Amino acid sequence: METIANDFTINIATANGTGSQSANLILLQSLFEMGVPVSGKNMFPSNISGLPTWYIVRLSDNGYQAPGNRTHIQVLLNPATWDEDLASLEPGSVVIWNENAKMEMNRDDVISYPVPMSALARKINPKIAKLVTNIIYVGVLAELLGIDQEELEAAVAKQFKGKATAVELNITALGLGRDYFKENLSKNDPYIVEKRVIEKPQFFIEGNEAAALGCLFGGVQMLAWYPITPSSSLAEGIINYIPQLRTDDDGNATCAVIQAEDELAAAGMVLGAGWAGGRGMTATSGPGISLMQEFIGLGYFAEIPSVFWDVNRVGPSTGLPTRTQQSDITLLYEGSHGDTQHIVLIPGTVEECFEFGWRAFDYSERYQTPVFGLSDLDLGMNRWACEGFEYPDQAMDRGKVVRERDVFEAFEEFGRYLDVDGDGIPYRTLPGSGMDPILYRGTGHNPKGVYSEKPDDYFELMQRLRRKIDGARDDLPAPILREEDECEVGIIYLGSMENTIQEIDDILEATGIKVSQCRVRALPLHSGVEEFIRRHKTTIVLEINRDGQMYGILRKELPNDLITKIRSVAYSDGVPPRAGIYAKLILETLKEGDN
Amino acid sequence: MSDKPARPARAIKLNVLNEPKESYTGGKSSLCPGCGHDQISNVIISAAWENGIEPHRVAKMSGIGCSSKTPAYYLGQSHGFNTVHGRMPSVTTGAYAINKDLLYIGVSGDGDSASIGIGQLIHAIRRNMDMVYIVENNGVYGLTKGQYSATADIGSKKKKGEPNKTQPIDLCALAINLGCTFVARSFSGSKKQLGSLLKAAMSHKGFALIDVISPCVTFNNNDESMRSYGYVKENEITLHMTDYIPHFNPVEEIEVPEGHFRDIELHDGSTIRLETISAEHDPGNAVAALTALHEAESNQKHVTGLLYFDNTKPSLAEDMGLVDIPLVDIPNEDLRPNRETLDKINAALHG
Repeated sequence: METIANDFTINIATANGTGSQSANLILLQSLFEMGVPVSGKNMFPSNISGLPTWYIVRLSDNGYQAPGNRTHIQVLLNPATWDEDLASLEPGSVVIWNENAKMEMNRDDVISYPVPMSALARKINPKIAKLVTNIIYVGVLAELLGIDQEELEAAVAKQFKGKATAVELNITALGLGRDYFKENLSKNDPYIVEKRVIEKPQFFIEGNEAAALGCLFGGVQMLAWYPITPSSSLAEGIINYIPQLRTDDDGNATCAVIQAEDELAAAGMVLGAGWAGGRGMTATSGPGISLMQEFIGLGYFAEIPSVFWDVNRVGPSTGLPTRTQQSDITLLYEGSHGDTQHIVLIPGTVEECFEFGWRAFDYSERYQTPVFGLSDLDLGMNRWACEGFEYPDQAMDRGKVVRERDVFEAFEEFGRYLDVDGDGIPYRTLPGSGMDPILYRGTGHNPKGVYSEKPDDYFELMQRLRRKIDGARDDLPAPILREEDECEVGIIYLGSMENTIQEIDDILEATGIKVSQCRVRALPLHSGVEEFIRRHKTTIVLEINRDGQMYGILRKELPNDLITKIRSVAYSDGVPPRAGIYAKLILETLKEGDN
Repeated sequence: MSDKPARPARAIKLNVLNEPKESYTGGKSSLCPGCGHDQISNVIISAAWENGIEPHRVAKMSGIGCSSKTPAYYLGQSHGFNTVHGRMPSVTTGAYAINKDLLYIGVSGDGDSASIGIGQLIHAIRRNMDMVYIVENNGVYGLTKGQYSATADIGSKKKKGEPNKTQPIDLCALAINLGCTFVARSFSGSKKQLGSLLKAAMSHKGFALIDVISPCVTFNNNDESMRSYGYVKENEITLHMTDYIPHFNPVEEIEVPEGHFRDIELHDGSTIRLETISAEHDPGNAVAALTALHEAESNQKHVTGLLYFDNTKPSLAEDMGLVDIPLVDIPNEDLRPNRETLDKINAALHG
């Protein structure tokens, strides 16, 4: 039989709360350490324990990180999804299944490896058999695919942080799985794992942890947060690193953390921190952003630096709290009532989660306005390969803050909202300074900050605010372009789609269509996006939602002659983007355009 | 040059910082003439001046409503933030996290504090954040033209409409139950009592709530209202006479009352002296305070004075475990970890 090395997808079906996540991460980590390009997607429920969970491990020498378009190896442990999982497999797939699950193997067109996982686990320790069952399938997979024992053991030690009993127990269980396969089954499938040379050493990290580190290197001074999936690990990442990064020898921190009573309060605290002259932030998800709308408008109108991270999950309403989507784009960009427009930074990699983590504060203080980081569950909560984080290449930008009295006195005229430099960005003084003391307000105000309902004052204020945010366009992270010479079809995409785009590109290229890529990294849109559309005959706007929100923004902002050049491909089912689905939709859309 | 002869110099009274009272005033009020809130603004001005607070070291915080407009009318040298409806506590919390050394004076109303913002008030109390929180409580919504608020007393009738039938929320009882460390009630017409309580609140470490009955002259000052000037004057039960003795004044200079009194030392060394009127009230006894509130409510009276006081609890600044200097004063280089630290993080992640 011809072997297939490093090009297949493993789907592991378990119930949550059974310890399967540890087992899956050990599998993923050991493959990663062997130099195999691998990605893991955790499809977990909004539940503490007992509901179906799938973990998708994709090995791809091409570097594809999206979940594959089909399952090659299915691990079956969960009776609740057993029949459905089994039925969805293509003929010839491999099935490793728990013989003790009291479920039937009713497919004869698959390669079947029955393993008495529960019985083996009970041998080790009947009391914790359920937990141990999971690590047994990792042992079976290791033997089946040829995963290094050394790497497995290292991954176990890493997962359990060297706790001797746990490490020993898990290594024993791995051995039982391996031995069972060796002694009772024989390999009858093509899938194998091959070691690859690691050119640049990498580590695995979740986007939320990367963003947390970025925020700390951005000098965050106050984190106010309310727990919500999938953003909690961003806030907890900051909390976990504060002792190491932002605490003096006496144990006193330079970053305050407040767990707020709700997202409204968290947003209020962020504004309070910005008003007082500090770097305040929160991390939340769509439902939290919905609750924060009123404060977002106040931040825009009263011009208060404030940073909000939105780790997007599936909406509307509570939606699918543990699934991924890019559906908060317009919510952030045009957040709050009245005419508003906000700066949104959209990382597509863990490196950018770190970079935008610190940059968000600089933009927010430079433009004196709310700045959003838009990540998503896929990027935020799954593990991604990273070569390491780069130190900020710019000093902290604290914006136009007048701190000394002689500087203040030198102003011919001072007004909190006076556009002295013509860039729409006024100067501010801080509470406690005694300079230009004004009562900040969400009501209409004149350039001095005094309450005003005068038509001219309101009109001029709104025009200046627009000028200010417009002025940020080309100062924000530029789009990442990968262009073909032909400039036939362009694809504009954003965020975590970065991890699927190359596979989509390759599928399209196989059909003879060469596409250029343009990854938008910020709103308002950089002028490079418009130029990209102008250069290409047709441009697809590709996004993970139903309505084509980025497409809508482009339609609104592009000059008329370019609007007809763009087409929307928007699709979302909660699962991280599978290349096959999007490639097919793009092909269909291009075909429609030809007619 | 004026032709008028120069007037003889008038002696201007200065406070302990050699500041005239004018340093503490604000803009002209746009509230209705006679509004209780304006009296409270005047008491804030006097209290800050008499207490020798540096005017620019105050942060004036408010929500939305008639009461929340008042920060424009006092302490013109202080920065302020007129935030959104009911959310002043959270904005104050964030500002306090960044600059714990300012004196935060929050002004709110009964709509702001007892309805839309009650959650934020509750959690600010829980955190025992250092701030003075004044509720200018008139039982009605003024800016929206006279609807009942959640503090309107049962049976009370505003100028127009039916008597209120809904159970009121007593913010002082709520605060005592939450463990608020300074709880007082006063009346905008009782300038001396309110002044003493306010100065004491400024000297307190922790969250100080002062619920001030402040009649709305336009919508709720009729005879059938239980929050009219006339009704409150007739039905006020004063727990004790209150005097405030600032830490910079030797106690000897203060006239010692003849009857029984109790001195409570405040965080900054100042003292609040409570002189017994009839029955003695112990502000350290939460149950006694709740009983006083309950009895007053049953008899359709308003009880005023320092209801409850506790100086044993840490405030939010201590709980946050921060460096001594306010975070706003930390230089940039101490906020961003250095390059070597990032190298170490990268190395650790590489394992």
